[in-house]
Amino acid sequence: MRLEIKNITKKFKQKTAVNDFSMAIDSNECVGLIGPNGAGKSTLIQIIADVLNADEGEILLDGQKISSMRNQIGYLPQYPNFFSWMTAFETLSFMGKLSGISKNELQKEIPLLLEKVGLGNEAHSHVGTFSGGMKQRLGIAQALLHKPALIIMDEPVSALDPIGRREVLNLLKEIKKETTVLLSTHILSDAEEICERFIMIKNGHKIEDATKSELLERHQESVIFLMIRKVDFQWLTMVEQLAYVQKIASCQNGFKIYVENLETDANRLIQHGLDSKVMFTKFEVGIQDNLEEIFLELVV
Amino acid sequence: MSAFIELSKKEVHQMAREFKILWLPIVFILLGLTQPIMMYYLPVILQSAGGVQGILIDPTMAKPVGQEVLASTLNSQFDQLGIIILVVATMSIIQGEKANGMMAFILTRPVSIASYLKSKIIIHYMLAVSCIALGYAVSYGYSAYLFTTVPMTQAFWALVFYCVWLLFIITFVAMMSTFFNSTAFIALISIVSLLICRFIAGLHPLIDIVNPASNSMYATNILMSGDVESWYGLNIVGTLLFVLLMIITMQSFIAKKKF
Repeated sequence: MRLEIKNITKKFKQKTAVNDFSMAIDSNECVGLIGPNGAGKSTLIQIIADVLNADEGEILLDGQKISSMRNQIGYLPQYPNFFSWMTAFETLSFMGKLSGISKNELQKEIPLLLEKVGLGNEAHSHVGTFSGGMKQRLGIAQALLHKPALIIMDEPVSALDPIGRREVLNLLKEIKKETTVLLSTHILSDAEEICERFIMIKNGHKIEDATKSELLERHQESVIFLMIRKVDFQWLTMVEQLAYVQKIASCQNGFKIYVENLETDANRLIQHGLDSKVMFTKFEVGIQDNLEEIFLELVV
Repeated sequence: MSAFIELSKKEVHQMAREFKILWLPIVFILLGLTQPIMMYYLPVILQSAGGVQGILIDPTMAKPVGQEVLASTLNSQFDQLGIIILVVATMSIIQGEKANGMMAFILTRPVSIASYLKSKIIIHYMLAVSCIALGYAVSYGYSAYLFTTVPMTQAFWALVFYCVWLLFIITFVAMMSTFFNSTAFIALISIVSLLICRFIAGLHPLIDIVNPASNSMYATNILMSGDVESWYGLNIVGTLLFVLLMIITMQSFIAKKKF
């Protein structure tokens, strides 16, 4: 299973929502599409799900246009809407039959699926009575019903309370074992938890496409974080003068010392401190930015 | 095929839950009742209204025949108020699902746009035909009871021609519903267009050939004169071609996702 997105451009009157966007996803990847509000995530996702038509470019799933591969794609929109007069069971039954699944199979599968997404007790309640979180779960059920190879989710957890979010994230961890997942979100801690690869989009452009480890490596800085006692603050003025120290910044309860070469300079610095009779309460070599900081750096 | 059946079932369920399947027939039964009763009691009404100066009701005026009554049901009830009610009942069949995202959602499944459109138009057409037929039957019954009986074959053929006009009405409203997003605008443009079609029928033979509303006019003619002229058939073909054209237009509009 290979999804190829080639040079997709989409304009809405004056604004170019997606600008020459390309990427590829292979089987069993779990990719997070992240970006600030208005970056073009939803638009791109809708184009992949064949809800919108792109102005330029094409999308191929296993070499074929996505319009003919709709059965291989499961889609969860940002605000799932259903017919409020149908029950959860009827909704899944309706969507399932449209996907070509036989009635017998549906009778077996739907209760299991509803149980899996946590709607087991509400199978025969009308969707009109559902809360936002319940509709989201029904949306996930609907996207999984026909066992697609690729599932695309537009902000799957953004509207949920912490409990709902936790449940859906756990569900996604299970799903990604069998299905390729592409999800868009602006909640980076969630993305960090389940995605291994991140694609960042800003103003319609792709600005980054890397796995988690690549990102963290690239953005690791040669910084030493230390905490010392108040009486030793004077030592810092001496540190500033050192040749290998680029700058000192204060950060929360301590200081970040930017050096040239992390390994050698760390040793030198700690030796210098010990010589000056400084007592370190904390000495951390090399700080890894978390995803949110990297994101802010890239986007702002 | 199964997608079409499934979508049709859903349309029927939706109509039932919205009670459209209840109120629309009732309205048309009332419309069907109005004309015969009103025409029967009109002299009495005018008289009891005090008899305005200068208007004399000729007591020897012949009572209308059943055919006239039935024809005027088609003309003044169904073709005026009836059209407005049908438009209002049908205006949101596609617009509604555009607005709440359900159409886009349904189309993410491997469903052809053709089956989507066909299921909607066919089911709503069947509802419209049932309602009109009910109202017509009631009108027929009361005309027979209060005036004279209309020969069955004549009444039947008139209804058939009227149903062709109905098909045009439903498809036209569906098309407006596909193009536009405001129900008020859809209703307005549909009602105005359809009434214009109806009023220009009979003005000029050349226009009549292409005007779908001619079918309604022929229905009236059949009732009054009892003949089915051979060229009436031409008009049926013309109207059906129009309907096909509208469906194709709707299909390509949705395919290009201009909604």
